[in-house]
Amino acid sequence: MIRAAAAALALATLVALTPPGAESATAVVDLGGSRAYVRPDPGLTLCGISLFVRAGLDRQTGDQNGLAALVAQSILQTPVDGMPLVDAVAARGGELAVHVSPQYVRFYLEAPGPALPALATLVAGALAAPSFDAALTAARTTLTAQIAADERDPRRVGMQMLLSARYIGGAGMPPRGTPSSLAGFNPADARAFYHQWYLRGDTFVTVVGQTGVASDAASRALVAAIPPGSSGPLPTLATRDFAPLPKRLVTRRDVYVPFVVLGFAAPSLGDTDFGAALVFRTMLSQVLERDSAATQPVLLRPGGTMYTYDTAPAFMSVWLNGGRLDPTEGLSAIDEVLKRAAAQPLQAAIVTRFKERARGEWALEALSLKARTWELGNALALGLDADISSQVDGAIARVTPADLQRVAKRYFQRFDVALVLPREGSGG
Amino acid sequence: MTPKAALVAAFLFGFAAAPAAAQIPPGPTLQTASNGMQYHVAADPAQPSAAISLWYRAPGAGFETPALPGLSRVAALTVAASTPITGTSLTRLVQSVGGRIDVSAYADSVAVTIVVAPEHVDRVVRALTADYFAPVVDAAGFALARRDVAEDTVYRSYDAPDALEHALEGALFSSGPFHDGTLPDAKTMAALDVTRVQAYADRAFRPSNAVLILTGNVSPSVIEDAASRDGADPAPERPAQQVAVTPGSVIQHTANVEGTGLGWVGPSIQNEAETGALDFLSDALFAPKVGSVQRALGSLDVEVTGKFITYFDPGLFLVTISGKDAQAALPIVRRAIAQVATPMSPQVFASARIAFQYRVASDLQTPGELADTLGWYAVEGNFGSSPASTRYLQIESTLTPRFVASMGARYLTAAPAIVTLARARPQATGTP
Repeated sequence: MIRAAAAALALATLVALTPPGAESATAVVDLGGSRAYVRPDPGLTLCGISLFVRAGLDRQTGDQNGLAALVAQSILQTPVDGMPLVDAVAARGGELAVHVSPQYVRFYLEAPGPALPALATLVAGALAAPSFDAALTAARTTLTAQIAADERDPRRVGMQMLLSARYIGGAGMPPRGTPSSLAGFNPADARAFYHQWYLRGDTFVTVVGQTGVASDAASRALVAAIPPGSSGPLPTLATRDFAPLPKRLVTRRDVYVPFVVLGFAAPSLGDTDFGAALVFRTMLSQVLERDSAATQPVLLRPGGTMYTYDTAPAFMSVWLNGGRLDPTEGLSAIDEVLKRAAAQPLQAAIVTRFKERARGEWALEALSLKARTWELGNALALGLDADISSQVDGAIARVTPADLQRVAKRYFQRFDVALVLPREGSGG
Repeated sequence: MTPKAALVAAFLFGFAAAPAAAQIPPGPTLQTASNGMQYHVAADPAQPSAAISLWYRAPGAGFETPALPGLSRVAALTVAASTPITGTSLTRLVQSVGGRIDVSAYADSVAVTIVVAPEHVDRVVRALTADYFAPVVDAAGFALARRDVAEDTVYRSYDAPDALEHALEGALFSSGPFHDGTLPDAKTMAALDVTRVQAYADRAFRPSNAVLILTGNVSPSVIEDAASRDGADPAPERPAQQVAVTPGSVIQHTANVEGTGLGWVGPSIQNEAETGALDFLSDALFAPKVGSVQRALGSLDVEVTGKFITYFDPGLFLVTISGKDAQAALPIVRRAIAQVATPMSPQVFASARIAFQYRVASDLQTPGELADTLGWYAVEGNFGSSPASTRYLQIESTLTPRFVASMGARYLTAAPAIVTLARARPQATGTP
């Protein structure tokens, strides 16, 4: 009954977002037990294919932190012609990557259209029969290096602390686990996880770029490599409620200056409040900006926002760079915006200004082929219409001052705080 | 001889024939408006965004002496941040529509690139060309630009490959834009004033010296307004004179990072077969993770970059080595470079070519990337052979192992310029 209600709500949202008579930009291809969602861009010589498999973080039990990533990375490291699959693809003129999200693992293959079938055959071989015995150590080494790189970004460190506090179970675990958790897994663990969760009925494919017969064939090969079966409908992610007073999480890392990260609940992509939340994101970002002669690189900005809408419920974080502004002043500015936006509707002219900017920012949300296949797949993973991203622009345009006030009240009055501080003696 | 015949001949008879570039149809050409502005539109309506890129041939350190490294960047940023008669600076306009604006300064060119939602292209092109073709320089814009450049310079000084490449360009030339560079020091920044910036902007940012590139989800009709703007002087700037030096002893600099750089002078951008060979070679050796040098480095904790930069004349081949194990990596890198004069086996060559062609295409997939590449080749003087053109790929397809090896031998087996960067040692204290 709950699932039925959720489906009805999603449908109602969809109806609200879809302009009547709009033509879909996405074609659907039947892959026999799964589907490919195809968006051509004939102006490109390359084609990107994302294979989504329901084997993400939430499949992990309490003692499986990092196993989803280790299994996926082992597939990339499976030997092919004497080298890891990922290198074999690169040597043949393509790119293979993997990304683990709270509910899905996404394999991304990119190459010129005609080269895709041969490359997909290579990838399919590893997907069908991952060589965990041969690849696990290399996969662990790769992930450990990636974790070290993630740890150097204090924004991500803070956001992950907040996500872990917000989401219950595997969905809140760090995407790549930790070096110590990865060290505890053996090939049998990986094999068991793979056989339990890599199921063809839980997959779909998104394709963008130079699409056609070749990309259809490649999509078919990728899906056919996954063992048959299905685990049923997507469950809702469980979350912890925010308390009236912010939870304060503190860590010390090898950073030069302190970072403060605030975490909020946020409407998900299919929610009727999503457009208003994007406008709110723009407002918060602007509060933390300072005048500059051009768009500043992230490292030189005083603060910013990150909207994690690949989950439902979603999450928004606001970060402040203590090296670029006084965190106390930044927090006061944020606090004032949150209170004022909730207390009364903003002036219509101000809302119009933020809406225009938010619409433009949304258009730049996914530019690379990899990002475009993700954007398309993210909507589908959340059970939404394939073209919903293109409808968000209209949803932002329809946001009213009252919508913003409602969103401010509903989502942005309670939050948690993560402090990422320099280690003792490491300067600051 | 057809390209295919040349390829067969090279394999059969073993000579390093230059690929027959002359036999390949010419690539696209730039259009020229009545005001002298050159332009090109590469529309792709399936893209979610559009890029607008305005390029100028203009030395990074100014037209006059003394050289002021960073002047082109400060000038371009000042114009973007200054308030014209419309009352809204270009930077504010782009921000207000959710777009991104970036200024890139190179030794002999400067570019302003804006990425926006398709519906704003018309408005942004109008503002961009209005602001740059009759540049307004005000004190507030200058202050912002100078602060941004100073911060960016500090930020970049901690980027080892960037710092090494900059030092190499200085080491390879005794005068000219490469020697002067684009990164200012505190003294230079203090010497900058609004008058000098205005003078630079007036000379550099003329329509007749401009190349406008539009890519992504754009309509070609957008160009009409920009093309109709007045231009007083029809003469574009000529490439500045560069004076290369014979590499001598290792040049050492104190810096915020450590590392070693190796640099060679290469062919002009006009010499398409030779630049194509060096593009290919740099990828085969240094492509991240899969280049032969990267593989030879194994598990060393080191970052090695290598690229051929297709400047007007000459091009540059720059290699940087940084990280904890840089010293251990240096002989491996030098050994690999010493081997470039030996032709690759046909199998290795074919595999490297396929991988190279992918990476060329991969670097052109967003409107911003495409605009950058087209703008670069336009301003450096060989627009028709940019990597976005069919001609570039056709020339690449005529390369042979022997020809590539002969180019390696010609340009990379000579003694390189070598620079080393080392952090300043703390001064000893407590001694008289």
